[in-house]
This record gives sequence, structure tokens and C-alpha cells, in this order.
Amino acid sequence: MATVSRRAVITGFGVLSPIGNAPDALWSALLAGTRGVRRITLFDPSHLPSQIAGEVADFQPRQMIEKSYRRTLNAMARTVSLGVVGCQWAMADAGLSRGSFAPTRCGIEFASVMGATELDDLGPAAVRAIRPDRSGPDMRAWGEQGIPEIPPLWMLKYLPNMPACHATILYDIQGPSNTQILGDVAGASALEEALRILRRQTADIMLVGGSEAKVHPLSLSRFNLFAEFSRRNDDPGGAIRPFDRERDGTAPGEGAAVFVLEALEHARQRGATPYAEVVAVATGVDRSLSGQGLARIIRQALALAGITPDEVDHVNAHGLGTRSGDRFEARGIAEVFGSRTPVFAPLSRFGNLGAASALLELACSVLALRQGLLPPTLNHLQPDPECPIHVHVGEPRPIRRPYVVKTTYTDLGQCAAIVIRRAEA
Amino acid sequence: MRRRVVVTGMGVITPLGHSVTELFAAQVEGRTAVGPITRFDARTFPTTFASEVKGFDLGRFVREPQRFRNCGLNTQFALAAAKQALEDAGLLDPARGDRSRMGVYLGSGEGSDEFPVLVRALAYASPPPGTPGPVDPARFTQVMLQWMNGPRESEQEMYTPAARLALEFALEGPNLACQTACAASSQAIGEALDLIRCGAADVMLAGGSHSMIHPLGVTGFNRLTALSQRNDSPQTASRPFDRDRDGFVLGEGAGMLVLEELEHAKARGAPIYAELTGYGSTADAFRMTDPHPEGRGASQAMADALADAGLQPADIGYINAHGTSTQANDATETAAIKTVFGEYAYRIPISSSKSMLGHLIAAAGAVELIITIMALRQGVIPPTINYQTPDPLCDLDYVPNTARQARFHHALSNSFGFGGQNIALIVSRFSS
Repeated sequence: MATVSRRAVITGFGVLSPIGNAPDALWSALLAGTRGVRRITLFDPSHLPSQIAGEVADFQPRQMIEKSYRRTLNAMARTVSLGVVGCQWAMADAGLSRGSFAPTRCGIEFASVMGATELDDLGPAAVRAIRPDRSGPDMRAWGEQGIPEIPPLWMLKYLPNMPACHATILYDIQGPSNTQILGDVAGASALEEALRILRRQTADIMLVGGSEAKVHPLSLSRFNLFAEFSRRNDDPGGAIRPFDRERDGTAPGEGAAVFVLEALEHARQRGATPYAEVVAVATGVDRSLSGQGLARIIRQALALAGITPDEVDHVNAHGLGTRSGDRFEARGIAEVFGSRTPVFAPLSRFGNLGAASALLELACSVLALRQGLLPPTLNHLQPDPECPIHVHVGEPRPIRRPYVVKTTYTDLGQCAAIVIRRAEA
Repeated sequence: MRRRVVVTGMGVITPLGHSVTELFAAQVEGRTAVGPITRFDARTFPTTFASEVKGFDLGRFVREPQRFRNCGLNTQFALAAAKQALEDAGLLDPARGDRSRMGVYLGSGEGSDEFPVLVRALAYASPPPGTPGPVDPARFTQVMLQWMNGPRESEQEMYTPAARLALEFALEGPNLACQTACAASSQAIGEALDLIRCGAADVMLAGGSHSMIHPLGVTGFNRLTALSQRNDSPQTASRPFDRDRDGFVLGEGAGMLVLEELEHAKARGAPIYAELTGYGSTADAFRMTDPHPEGRGASQAMADALADAGLQPADIGYINAHGTSTQANDATETAAIKTVFGEYAYRIPISSSKSMLGHLIAAAGAVELIITIMALRQGVIPPTINYQTPDPLCDLDYVPNTARQARFHHALSNSFGFGGQNIALIVSRFSS
């Protein structure tokens, strides 16, 4: 194992989330207990079984996107523009601008998905191509009359690698650029790879982010058919109940979370103030979804960090609020930490942001470490014997130990564990 | 000392065969797989042809293939190629070795929408013809919920192919998947190399899988005018570096490699096909749709791969080009090769597998690296077919039309992705 390594710190943070669109706003919302899951307003959700989600309020891409780049907005779906704005804000927060760093020494790792098509991009083509009996498309009509109706850059608006592509162009980033697509784990994959890239000396600065806009009629039609979504449409703010006995599913969210990860010596040289240090990331698969594999991966991350569970202030869990997901995650955490280490699950405040989830959830603990205060988990009312962990609820508690472990996973058992450390004074 | 990484298994599903042997034989013969699209009626599309995988039978590779009936072709192709690679490496048996030290890194395609259902729902929720106006999202969701198949949709999520590989073949170590368009599987292989070097795993199943030969895939590329429209002569449409090239030919398939730490491979007596010695990864930072005109990022990626391998330009005996058959790529790739190799560029044989295979998009780099390894081992360089008219902007040795005998020790494979990701990989003849 490579243990002697370059140290990496977070020196910038950009966020667009259902509970706040800046690090300070996010922190205030975490303390105030703001609930970002509400009835969907981006479209009429009345036919969906689950009609609630975390939406980013006041997202104005035209005002927010870099002025010189505004014309490109036509080629960006919401999932992309959220990510690009997140990158802009992270770079600004880190005090970095185009030309202020060596282009080949900066790279990007972004967590993303293929965006769902905007309905109006394909609607006119569909109308032209539908058979007279409306049973489906006439392929000849689609080719002749449908295809010309579709915007020329249609495909580009949705490609997963577009947030990273735009960020490299905006900031003249010429180092490695990769786009991670492992669902709720993708943000952790991006962080893992960025850390390796810094450690193999290929770059000094890595932009590490994720964005996803799930609150979309096509995406939510699909998710409602297979994802475990809460049906508490009459109580959106209280719907997601992490590790609670009465949990009945999660809710989608949207947004972006982007960090600037930087080699410690590089950050020091330019006088940047770290939010926190990223120490280790481990990924792997729990094939039986028993929690044993997740525990193995958490232990691996602790070993890479060279620490014991006693040095961990709290575990930041994915805490989806699903029946089997929470049971699985709790078993993995309990296997390593027992029921002593507090578990903080911030997702109940804003929903599952998918590709942006791991980094937004991690950001809540990054801010907590910096402020020295851990906000509580909302909506955990009744402990569940199936989830034998100590969920932190009630009042904010002081941070007592230097490290945080973040866990996340997919429903097929892909897992990741991240270890971060309080920044040194 | 840095851990060394070797290739101990390879597998493919391609339009030119469902095994590495078949694929390489076809490449050496200069056979093309391009023909009319059969998967759907594309006769009125701007492009009516593609390079399709034919006669694919998942049941030849996994037991109870119906378990994967809801999966997309990208997952099914990946499973079949992975099975070949792991069997080749002697690692198919889940009782072999420490499975927590074996991972997956897939350059993976996206799932696809069920086209007929999508069109039907959009038409249902649109205002009647002649009345312009937006699609009604509420009406749209109402019918989509009735017409879509939930289990099929869940398998279209982008994390599923890498998960299916891990679950089917008991690979419990690092699990990652990336999508950087046409560079994805090369990037997956390069980063898997790094995961082994830094000790996160001893074995990585790495590669890519993709199919975009569906109505929306062809529609999207046609709107971008990226595809060749030589409908009267599909088999000569993919003509990398030829003056009259007019776009790429869409292909599909999968390529998977078993990468293994050298001592681990030796200890279990595994076959060693080649050593993976160099990896370079850069961004163009130029435009969404076009490569940098001088191939700035591309040349940097090649230079970085050489430095990573500790080699000089003159050590490279063959370049497997990205060579897409688009005007922009082939000219800038040529310029980038000259930047890195100088005068020596004129003496290196360069060929494009895509002249025969078409462009496998996310899977392209992995399949082409496998072809490169076979060329290295067998001392035969597959040609660039359909090369007829020289282009003054492409004036290097592209091994035109017939294969060539050549013995060399190191070869480079390029992959450049839409959006500006540039990957170069170097494979070397293994010597202890």
C-alpha cells in the first residue's frame, strides 16, 4: 500500500442545493433545520405516486453562468448547467481564475449521468413520426420529417462528460479530465481518482464535483417505476426518515457540489485556506448486501488513513430512508463502529442528489468540521432494531475528534468510504 | 520501485467477431463489418448503415442468460467479453485468489430510452399537429408510468454494467465506471493501471462496452453531422486519413482486459500477453465539438505516456491511431503525432482499426488496445483499409490497405473523446 503520500486539502467549495446555494447558506440551513424536500414545482407531478423532491430554488443559469460563456447555455441541460455553475463557484471560492494556475497541472473529476431529454426537444419530431393509429413511431416518417425537427446540438446537451468539458474550456484546464458514472457512489469515485492523480504528481489542483437534475418528468416517471420513493406526499419535509422504524423510502433531489482539491504544499504556497483534508477513499462491492463488504471497505479506508475507529468523530451516512438500503448501510457501519460513534445522515434535508449526492453529503461534514459543530439528523424519530447504530439527533453537538468517515453505496452493492480530517490550524 | 502491470487476459465482442482470435484475423485480412442497419428501419435516416455486432448469443458466455434480459446491450456485451478475458487469465473461478483484491473499471455506455414508448408518449402529450406548444409533462408522466417496463428501466442506470460484472464474476475490489465518450475505455484502462500501481488492487478487469446503434443514437450523431453519409457505399465509408473521408461509422461492442500486478501474475503462472507501461491523460480545453487544431492535448497525452513508460519517441514501433475518419480528427491526430515524434513520425507505421470495425465509442479504446497487443505479439500490423486518395494534411505511413509484417517492442494506442479528453496508452513486449 502506498502510505507515504502527498497530502490533499479542500480549498474551494461551490454548491447549489435544495437548502442553500453557497457554503454559508448551506451551513445556516443545516443549523436552522431547513427542509428542502417539498411538493415538486418544476412540473405538475400529480400523476406520480411520489410527488415530492428537493429542488434548487432560484437557479438562474442565465444570470449565473460566466458572461463570456452564456451563448453555450443553449447546449446545456439543467443537469449540466448546475454542474458548470458549481464549478465556477468552487473556483471563485478557492481564489482561482483562468490563467492563475498552470493549465497542465490542473485536472477535473466529475460525477455525472446521461441527462434525460427535454420533452420539447423531441416533441415536434414525435408528432411528425407518430403512426395514424398513434400506436408508435413510423420509422420512415421519423427519418424524413422527425430528425430535421430536432435541435442540431441535441445529443450534446445531455452527455455525462459535458460539465467537465465546459469547465476545462472555461478555466483552461488541460490536465486529466474524467467523468464518473457510478450513481450515488460517483462522487466518491471522483474524489478517489482525484486523490490518486494528485498523489502520482500528475496535477497540483483537481476540480472534483458532481451534479444531477433528477426532478424531470422523464427521469421521475422512470424512477417511480423502480426506485423506493416515499409516498408521504402530505408531509414532504418529514418524508425521508433515515434509519427510522417507519421509513418508507427516499425522495429525489437536484443540485451540484464541487470542491477544489489541492496538494497541501501548493495550497500553502499560494496562501489558500483549507476547509479540510481528504485523507483516503476506498471503493468496492458488497455482493451479498449483508453489510460485511461495506464494513471491509470502511476498514480499508481507515487503514489507508492509518487511523482507528476511535479517532472518528462521526460517520456521515448516505441514509436514504429506504427499507433495505438503510438496514444494509447500518449493518456495515455497526460492524466497524458499533453503536457508539454518532451517525449523521444529512440527506433527509434535501433528498437524493444522485451523482451530486456523495459530495453534497460530504460537504455537510466538511462544514461541520470547520465550524466545530455537528448538526443533527432530521426525521429520525424511532430507532429501528434492524439498524443498530447511534443516529445523532436533537441539538447540534461539538466536534470532538479530528476525522469523519463518509459512506455511500448503490442498490447493487457498489460502496465507497471516504476519510476526511479537520484542517490544521 | 513501482509495481509493474501486465495483461493476462483479453476478451471481445465486436462486429468482426466474438473472440480475440476472430477479430484479429479479420483485422489482418482487412475485412470490414460495415453494412446496412438491421436493428431498426433506418432507410430514411441521413445515415443508413453501421457496424453491427451480428449473431450475439449471451448464452454462449454466461449461464441462465435470461437473468440479463432487462439489461441493455452494453451490459450484455460487457459480460460476454469479461467472461472471455477472465477465463483466458484463469480467474473465472470465484474461488481463485482474493476477490477483494480484484476490481472493475469500465468505460461504459449509457442506457437507452425505449424509443417506441418515448415517441408514443411524447405524441400523446403534445398539442395536435399544426398547433405549436410545449409537451404537457403531466400527461407525459401519466402514460409513461403505464407504458414503461420498470425492471428494464432500472437496468438502464449508468452504474449497472460495472455492478453486473462485479456480481457475476465475484470481483469485490475497487469498482468504477467512467463515460468520457470515445476515450472512456482507454481512460478506464489507464486509471485501472494506476489503481494496481498504487496498491489498491492486484487485478483489475478493465475495458469498455457500448452500443449506440439505436434510433436516438443515430439521430443524435446525424444531427451533429458526425457520421459518414456515404449510403451508396457503406463498406468504404470508414476511410481514416483518406482525403475524401466524410465522418465516422457507428459501431458497437465490448473489449475487456485483465490487468494484473506482475508478481501476482507470475506467482500463479498466468499467461502474460504484454506489459502496460505508459498512460497519459489530458484535456483539450478548447471546444465541445472540435479537437484543438494543433492537437495540443493529444500530443501532450502521447508525450505523458512516453514519459510514464520511460521511453523515447524512437522506441515506439507502431501507433494504433484513434483515426475516426472525420476531417478534424485525422488531421489533428496527424499533427499531434508529428509534434511528439518529429521526423521519426514519417517512419512509424500507423493504422486505424476503425477503418474495418467502425467506431465503438466508449468501447473503442479497449478493443483497439487488444488489437495493438495482438500486433505486438504476432508481428503483424493490421492495415488502414479504404485508403485511396492521400490528404496533404495526413502525410504519414498509415499502412494502407494491406497488413504488414513488423517486429517491435513498444506500441502506442490513442483515444480522443468528444468533449476534449485525450488518452494515450503504451504496451510493451514483456520481458522480466
